[in-house]
Amino acid sequence: MNRVPFSPLRTWLIAQNTLLEAVRQRLFHFIVFLALALVLGARWLRDFNFGAPELKFLADCGFGAMTFFGAALTITATAQLFFSEIENRTALTLLAKPVWRAEFVAGKYLGTVLLAGGFCALLTGLLMAVLWVREGELMAEFPETFTAGRTVSYGMVALAGAFQWLKLAVLAAFGLLVASYAQTQLFAMASGFFVLVICHLQYLAQEAYARAGSLAGELAGRLLAGLVPNFQVFAVADSLLAEDFPGGGAVARVALYGAGYAAVALGLAIYCFRHREI
Amino acid sequence: MRSRLRTAATALALLAGAGLGLAPIAEPVWRAQRGREPALRLQTAAAAGQGVTLALLGGFRALVADVAWVRMYALWERRDLPAVETLLRFVTSVDPRPVYFWLNGARIVAYDFPVWRIAAAGGHDAVPAEVQQRLVREHAALGLRYLGAAMEQHPRSPDLWVEQANIQLNKLGDLDAAAASYRRAWECPRGPFFAARLHAEVLRRAGRAREALEFLRTLHPKLPPNDDAARAELVLARIRDLERELRVPPLLEYRPAR
Repeated sequence: MNRVPFSPLRTWLIAQNTLLEAVRQRLFHFIVFLALALVLGARWLRDFNFGAPELKFLADCGFGAMTFFGAALTITATAQLFFSEIENRTALTLLAKPVWRAEFVAGKYLGTVLLAGGFCALLTGLLMAVLWVREGELMAEFPETFTAGRTVSYGMVALAGAFQWLKLAVLAAFGLLVASYAQTQLFAMASGFFVLVICHLQYLAQEAYARAGSLAGELAGRLLAGLVPNFQVFAVADSLLAEDFPGGGAVARVALYGAGYAAVALGLAIYCFRHREI
Repeated sequence: MRSRLRTAATALALLAGAGLGLAPIAEPVWRAQRGREPALRLQTAAAAGQGVTLALLGGFRALVADVAWVRMYALWERRDLPAVETLLRFVTSVDPRPVYFWLNGARIVAYDFPVWRIAAAGGHDAVPAEVQQRLVREHAALGLRYLGAAMEQHPRSPDLWVEQANIQLNKLGDLDAAAASYRRAWECPRGPFFAARLHAEVLRRAGRAREALEFLRTLHPKLPPNDDAARAELVLARIRDLERELRVPPLLEYRPAR
């Protein structure tokens, strides 16, 4: 089988097919609809807003929708699209042809990442539009507060959206790693949500272990920190002000960190899938 | 089965190894981020429990904090002190960015809590004056501690310094501390003019009239004449009052440049 060389074109074709399949699913439409409704509807939730400046409140709702619904979309899409190929036996047909297992897994991953990318781009664009319109209204209402012009840094909003995508890309790689080993779709999806929770809270466990003061605890903390990435790092651009820009170095570090984890998890997913009986 | 386990063990070992190599890349960013965000520290996150977890996961920080604030008000109306205290801590842990939460939280702790406790103990007529005093001072100290935590988040907020001064003045009667806090409020970027006037007034009440006069003499030339909030004419009138009180000789009296 591996006599043919690895083909990026075949990988791309599998990715395209995966993306198309995902976009056709009703669940995708439902999740996108909910997320869009939340971002648009955030304007009507302003009455519940006490503390944060209004524009910040709108941005928080937008990023919250991106994180929550994006994670749900990524986890379900990864597990569903992977297992549908196995359960429908299309994977057998596909892999009987000169297609590498690595191409199959990488194609599935690429398709999911493109799906998450489209979702994040859509929500980021909509959030920017909502912020732009509302800021314009506020400028007309309170011109004395906006003497220096617009205050929202739309570059920061775009950067935050990009980091959300990167986080979902890492999550997709971990989801695929679990799926490549798991026997059932349900297990893969449940594990995906566990991974999401653990990745968000691993720093707490690490700190708790470190506080215990024992060498074993310290090692356990480090091991946990190595096994799963720290998703809180991706919130580094969680601000609307240009002055809060974390700096090019920090952006590069977070990008490298996310890309590194995604690459390692994807590599291991390929490794697991190659050792799997279909 | 053995083969599956071997595959899983190999994958986990490789992942842990690669992760240990990747961790130092994000470490400086993470350290800086945690310095800015109290919700990302173990102490606060563990105390606030499940809600913080939800908020951190969902990203709906502002929304979660706002809903908790509404809930806190409902409990505040019922004078449920432990629940209000818990929710105040929760709200500022989830979203420490708005000064509004800190300010109102400090006011509730310093002003409302002692009244509730006195009322719960039978009211002002039943509770001995010294016990009432102790409760007031106890909660004023808690309110100041709360504001101290707020200042770690918002070191340049004049509102927090004004609130601190108000508690020191009205609840503790500590004129020197209140005067110092009003001055800090005035020195903050966009510090309110009234804080400067209050600083001088509290100094005068503390028996430090000469310091108050010196402060107002240096303040007056800096006040913008066309800004109503600056109240330059009022400051000048207070300078004259203090000069009379201190019997400043006419030759040494303050002479405004304009």
